[in-house]
Amino acid sequence: MRLDLTLALVDRPGQLVKALEPIAKNGGNIISIIHEREKTAGMYVPVSLVVDFPAYENFWKAREDLEKIDVNVVKSEEVIERANITAILIGKFDLKRILETKIKGLRIIDFEVSAPTSKEACIKLNLEIPMESADEAMRELKRISREENAILVSSI
Amino acid sequence: MRLIIIGFGFIGKNLAKTIFQKVELIKQFDRGFKIIGVSDIQGYLLDEKGLDLERLSRISAVSDYDECFFKGGSSLELINKSGAQIAVEATPTNIRDGEPGLTHIKRALTSGIDVVTSNKGPLVVAFRDLESLAEANERELRYEGTVAGAMPVFSLVDECLQGDRIVKISGILNGTTNFILSKMYFEGTSFEMALKEAQERGITERDPAYDVDGIDAACKVVILANAIMKRSVKLEDIERVGIRGITSEAVSLAKRSNYVIKLIGTIDKNLEVAPKLVPINHPLCVHGTLNALHFETDLAKELTVVGYGAGKETVSAVLNDIISILKRKAGSA
Repeated sequence: MRLDLTLALVDRPGQLVKALEPIAKNGGNIISIIHEREKTAGMYVPVSLVVDFPAYENFWKAREDLEKIDVNVVKSEEVIERANITAILIGKFDLKRILETKIKGLRIIDFEVSAPTSKEACIKLNLEIPMESADEAMRELKRISREENAILVSSI
Repeated sequence: MRLIIIGFGFIGKNLAKTIFQKVELIKQFDRGFKIIGVSDIQGYLLDEKGLDLERLSRISAVSDYDECFFKGGSSLELINKSGAQIAVEATPTNIRDGEPGLTHIKRALTSGIDVVTSNKGPLVVAFRDLESLAEANERELRYEGTVAGAMPVFSLVDECLQGDRIVKISGILNGTTNFILSKMYFEGTSFEMALKEAQERGITERDPAYDVDGIDAACKVVILANAIMKRSVKLEDIERVGIRGITSEAVSLAKRSNYVIKLIGTIDKNLEVAPKLVPINHPLCVHGTLNALHFETDLAKELTVVGYGAGKETVSAVLNDIISILKRKAGSA
């Protein structure tokens, strides 16, 4: 899992190196570090890191170890990789059916309808979905289009 | 080497013509190369000394050859009697039971004859059985012409990607649907009009459903999945949607977003033939009657082959298979 973390470090030499050690010790692989000196608040400097941890437990252990050396994690947020799905559906189609699916994190980014009143109405959709749910989303789109008797033309 | 041609239709005749034109090239690999037999529905020709290639290249039915013609003789009889070392099976495709090609190939392999075929039917119906039979009889079964005509597909993987793991194959496997969808894309015509033009040009199968409903492409997906991905699949395992329902509105909607609609066969964890949106800058975005195959592998990453998937260009693949056998035999002699 990938996490976007912000640490509050005391503005003293050597603090960053000290803070990285508990992360590495708990299996964290640092992808990026931004030392945000311009955002210094009192004696603290925020440092933003993107870190891959093998599991959530590893992050919790790293966080505990950081607290033991007086480094606070002021923000932690999972970075979710997202996939874009572009598809055209041919035939009458109720967009609500896509919104009503139980796929977590699915969003319709935009859509364009052509000839909405004809039997051959078609709609182009751009969907955004967490990467891990992309296959499930495609299966759902196929299922719904079958049930609606519409033709699904998805991107390769 | 003695070769027989089973089936003297479009491919059989064009192969005979090509062998006549290229005989000097072929003889570089085997001085004794000759065609000793040819069969069609009326009977067969058999001459152990070798048929006259010039005459063979001019006739339209085996009965026109006059001498050495066994009227009413069957292809199986030719296979049994000929003493050939290579048989080219080029009878019409039958995807229901693979016949008569399936029986011809089985008989040739069990008779110790290497087989080259451009006939999809037997491979769609019984790929694993035929492969096992060839192995058990220590014979070669080569079928480059069955998928994407002249394009090197199996040879490419066998010879040039030996250390790669093929992760995904996708492509345009039917030239007729590509012609229709290209017409719709460039001229804004309806599916019906584009199909009519394809029929007038003689580029559809007798029953256009075979092309437009994705059956032909699905047959090729079966062969690719079995031969390259080492799967064990049948035609009914392929999820299939054709292009009949593709409207000109859908084509123009795709075009406005820099996509084209193509009938794509896909082999990965899914096995599918369906109309897909292809970005205009993707290597599979080829038009007219062209075919294209896109390989995704662990080492080479992405590789695309483009070419003609049907017509007399297919003879190129058949001849290459024949020469491969000749070279191998010359090497092991």
